Amino acid sequence: MALPLAQELIFGLVIGSYIALGAIGFTLVYGLVNMINFAHGEFITIGAFVGYLAVVFGGVSLPVALLVALLVAAVTGWAIARLTFEPMNDAGAVPLLLMSIGLGLVLRNGMRAIAGPDRRNVPVAVTTYRFDDLGFFVTSNQLFIIGVTLFAVLVLHLFLSRTMVGISMRATADNERLALVSGIDTRQIRNAVWLAASGLAGVAGVMLAVSQSANPSVGFGQLLLIITAAILGGAGSPYGAVAGSYLLGVGIAVSVAFLPADIVALSSTMAFAILIVVLLVRPGGIANTEVRTS
Amino acid sequence: MSLLEVTELDAGYGDLQVLFGVDLHVTEGEYVAIVGPNGAGKSTVMKAVVGLATHMGGEIRFDGEDITGLEPQTRIERGLGYVPQTENIFPTLTVEENLKIGGYLLGGLPDDRQEAVVEQFPILAERLDQRAGNLSGGQQQMLAMARALIPDPPVLLLDEPSAGLAPDLVDTVFDHIDAVNDRGVTVVIVEQNAKTALRRCDRGYVLTQGENRYTDEGDALLNDPEVRKQFLGGGDSPTG
Repeated sequence: MALPLAQELIFGLVIGSYIALGAIGFTLVYGLVNMINFAHGEFITIGAFVGYLAVVFGGVSLPVALLVALLVAAVTGWAIARLTFEPMNDAGAVPLLLMSIGLGLVLRNGMRAIAGPDRRNVPVAVTTYRFDDLGFFVTSNQLFIIGVTLFAVLVLHLFLSRTMVGISMRATADNERLALVSGIDTRQIRNAVWLAASGLAGVAGVMLAVSQSANPSVGFGQLLLIITAAILGGAGSPYGAVAGSYLLGVGIAVSVAFLPADIVALSSTMAFAILIVVLLVRPGGIANTEVRTS
Repeated sequence: MSLLEVTELDAGYGDLQVLFGVDLHVTEGEYVAIVGPNGAGKSTVMKAVVGLATHMGGEIRFDGEDITGLEPQTRIERGLGYVPQTENIFPTLTVEENLKIGGYLLGGLPDDRQEAVVEQFPILAERLDQRAGNLSGGQQQMLAMARALIPDPPVLLLDEPSAGLAPDLVDTVFDHIDAVNDRGVTVVIVEQNAKTALRRCDRGYVLTQGENRYTDEGDALLNDPEVRKQFLGGGDSPTG
């Protein structure tokens, strides 16, 4: 007996997994650094290229490549933030937003100048598991992507709920001023946020390099979906961002199955449509966080 | 010797000056109340002491050392405990996580400190796993004090601890403050509720328009006809 929607659900989980790790980082930066980072997609692209280089030229296995991309993207993203955003931290949301748009453009075109516009595939052996009775199939690649994402979310959860830095991060997102007069070193917290956000972006980049390709705009292509998922989940809430990503992923997969092809061919149109509906109906998102004025 | 010594303090927010040459001295173990009408700058004194206001002149010494130029977080590290008037808890964190944040400077929440503080505020004991935002107003105020007391600070600064609380809870909160002071913690409170604060404290300051107006023992201020007439709504002496 074929299960209706089983295949769409799997596609949706895969799409959601691509989005989730990027969305967590984006929302952490939004909640703790109080900025909308339009260069977040480029941190993903850095991870994609590092993963590609590690596998193709370094000859390492995929899990090792993930770890390398995590570390390189984390340190690179942190360093970029320290050089560009941190010195103007008190300037307010709009200058930071403009800086991030400019920075994203520079990074994207910089990578295009170095790597060229080619799409580089990371070669991996793919096994397909068919469940014809139930009416769906799943590839080893898809399982890998969903598994890595769920593992990363679990690690993040343990970090945010069990460690002093993690709890301090949530406290700072709740109330930065109270965090300051509780003795929390908010600059150290921002450093930790940039490391975590860029590191997760790096992992997302490798997953995209494996299933699609490493190219200079692979991360930027995800940005709209990431922003939609973060707002859908309640901007600033990492758990909301995960929920928002999977909801968006499944929403896109199901709409692809049921809506006319010429509408869904523009999957960014779907993301925009969902974003508009969410903003109108529930601006606080799933986590119903306060909508910030900044 | 004064534990906290504020001399000729000018402070405000940005370009707006609120305090004009305010003096405040607090001796170890004392319980001091700062009262005065709305807009007198009471809370600003406290914010200036912890480093949240713009410093414009004068000196703040704590435990013999000049802390005037230090970051808020360094002042807290030196031993100032501070409870803001509003938004003084982390609402999405659990009660226990709020206490953990209190232990940030200790690198964690030592069991003995958690026990000591929960013993002082038993209402928190069975609510450790609850989201702090779900607590009632009175419970949130207890949690805010408990969080600030985790590092065992020599001084506790409380900004309007009774604001927005039901009358019966006001007494409970003041009883807790008495208990904290009885355990040897120096207490400075800013209060709208001037009569209660002056009755409870050792010494009081009356502030108007950003300047010191009167200072004396709490009872003496309560019985001072001028203070009563101008700031306590007149009438008979509350203690007499």
